[in-house]
Amino acid sequence: MNKTVNINLANTFFHIDEEAYNKLRRYLEAIKRSFSGTAGSDEIIADIEARISELFSEKMEHDRQVITQKEVDAVISVMGQPEDYMVDEDIFEDEPRPKTTTATTGRVKKLYRDTETKYIGGVCAGLEHYLGFDALWIRLIFILLGVFTGFGLIAYILLWILVPEATTTSQKLDMRGEPINITNIERKVKEGFDDVADKVKNVDYEKMGNKVKSGSRTFFDTIGDIFMFLFKVFGKFIGIILIIVGAATLIGLFIGLVTAGVVDLVHFPGIDFYDIVNTTGAPVWLVSILVFFAAGIPFFFVLYLGLKILVNNLKSIGNIAKFTLLGLWLLSIGVLIALGVRQAAARAFTSTTTINDSIQMVGDSIKIRINANDEFDLENKPSIDGMYFVYDESGNALLYSKDVRFSLRKSEDSLLRIKIKKDADGASFEEAKSRSSHIDYEYELYNDEVFLNNYLTTDRENKVRNQEVRNIVYVPEGKIIMLDASAKGTIGRGIKNDKDLYRKDIVDYLWVMGSDGELKCLNCPNNLNSEDDEAGSIIINEDGIDINVEGRNESFKMKIDEDGVEIKAEEEN
Amino acid sequence: MNIENTKAQMRKGVLEYCILSIIKDQDKYASEILGALKDAKMLVVEGTIYPLLTRLKNAGLLNYRWEESTSGPPRKYYALTETGQLFLKELNGTWDELRNAVNLVTNNK
Repeated sequence: MNKTVNINLANTFFHIDEEAYNKLRRYLEAIKRSFSGTAGSDEIIADIEARISELFSEKMEHDRQVITQKEVDAVISVMGQPEDYMVDEDIFEDEPRPKTTTATTGRVKKLYRDTETKYIGGVCAGLEHYLGFDALWIRLIFILLGVFTGFGLIAYILLWILVPEATTTSQKLDMRGEPINITNIERKVKEGFDDVADKVKNVDYEKMGNKVKSGSRTFFDTIGDIFMFLFKVFGKFIGIILIIVGAATLIGLFIGLVTAGVVDLVHFPGIDFYDIVNTTGAPVWLVSILVFFAAGIPFFFVLYLGLKILVNNLKSIGNIAKFTLLGLWLLSIGVLIALGVRQAAARAFTSTTTINDSIQMVGDSIKIRINANDEFDLENKPSIDGMYFVYDESGNALLYSKDVRFSLRKSEDSLLRIKIKKDADGASFEEAKSRSSHIDYEYELYNDEVFLNNYLTTDRENKVRNQEVRNIVYVPEGKIIMLDASAKGTIGRGIKNDKDLYRKDIVDYLWVMGSDGELKCLNCPNNLNSEDDEAGSIIINEDGIDINVEGRNESFKMKIDEDGVEIKAEEEN
Repeated sequence: MNIENTKAQMRKGVLEYCILSIIKDQDKYASEILGALKDAKMLVVEGTIYPLLTRLKNAGLLNYRWEESTSGPPRKYYALTETGQLFLKELNGTWDELRNAVNLVTNNK
């Protein structure tokens, strides 16, 4: 049992078997194709349809008879194959054009979406025709890539947008057209050889030269084709790489954008960083989108270029879209630069708030102790620039830093003095000043003891702006200084001493303040720095440069730090 | 060399001349032209003729008129134009020359 179709052929009505109908349709389409580009092709087709209609009518014995494949075959054998219709202008040429030439040069395969066998957009079905794999596998690959990486989804949507749908017959034929593959090239090579062989066998002396020439031309054409094929494969390979790079970057950026948005929305603890560092007042989402555009748009063009290389007949995204993207990109870059400048400007000024304190000493010695933090738990707490994010007992959000140093100098009178210098940066001097005054730092000054905290805190509103505390303890001449071991991490550099010890090494010994402001060691071993005849050290760190060279009879010292450059050379006779 | 190809080329070469000759005296429609050509074994398949007819018509050698048919769709009746008449006369001369020439070549080896 077969379904029948009703057709109107040259204004005559026919019942036709479905399979026969398909055959007839294909036949007529093939003929149409062979006439495409010929003047008056519509008229020729109309004439042919009229003739076919006439032939069918002759075969019909009664009205209800159905046209089957048999009738269609008979008509085709009467009318001839599509190539029999060809009346080339070069009909009287010396050489009949070999059929194979028209067949092989006929169609270059193009990628279209096949909406006849589609599931979603016909992309996979189209790729089936283009690549020659079963659409099932292509769909599977897309789904796997989509689920695991997101690449599949983006690639699919892009192809859906950019690859045109095969609507006309010609496009459908292009879609199914002969693929450029090894088999076809092999066949072409063979044909080329046959052609040559054919012509060599043919002993038509008059035209022999001509034929051999044309034969070898075909052969070299074939070699050319192979090179073109390899070149194309290489090109496509580059295209694939561009697509992967472009798509992967876009996906990464997109995930980043979404993550930043989500984090901002639900206020993860970590995102506080942004508010503290950010000085521009631009919200997270805006900065994220700007970054997304600034980095993403160039990669989108990389992706587009890759697709363009891979797919011959890709739709252009259009000039409007191109210029919009370009404009958007420039805008994003511009805004980001502006924000960056503002961000940098936020640290343009440094200011100091100074607190001075003094006390009358009793006794001959002073002890310096450092109070370590026991209030805040810093473990696993996030930090930026050495600033930690903490909360105090009453739940206030604070910034916590250990950027605290102390130094020792000689007091000009008999008072034990202390100078607390709080530094901070800001976009203006006033802002920096205000910020420095908001640094909370605690110390205790007693008549025989100094307690210094080794940390500072400030309200989180003040943001991370290079906040630091520099203390100077002024000790009267002749007083003994005892440094608690806790001072090791906090003792600053540039403390003058007769042993030229550096920072934490000083802590190990007892010192007395000399009249020249230099600390004299009370219990240092004699061989501390004269053990070797030749000794020297070079220390370069964040505080500056310290060069120390000592020989038997001479010494050279150079210090470069925030106070300037100091060079001391001595020679003993 | 494919013998069928050569044969087809030979036939195609004189096909235009034959078509013009067939409709010289009386207007004919496609099937009649086809019938005449097929009877003379000038044509193997019918398809060839349609593009030729269109070409001749476009060249101004033929024109046609529609005529209703009792059995089936209306028919196109082709007739020679004046240019067609002249063209045919010219071809008649050429054909005579050619026939003589071919006879001469093939008979006198």
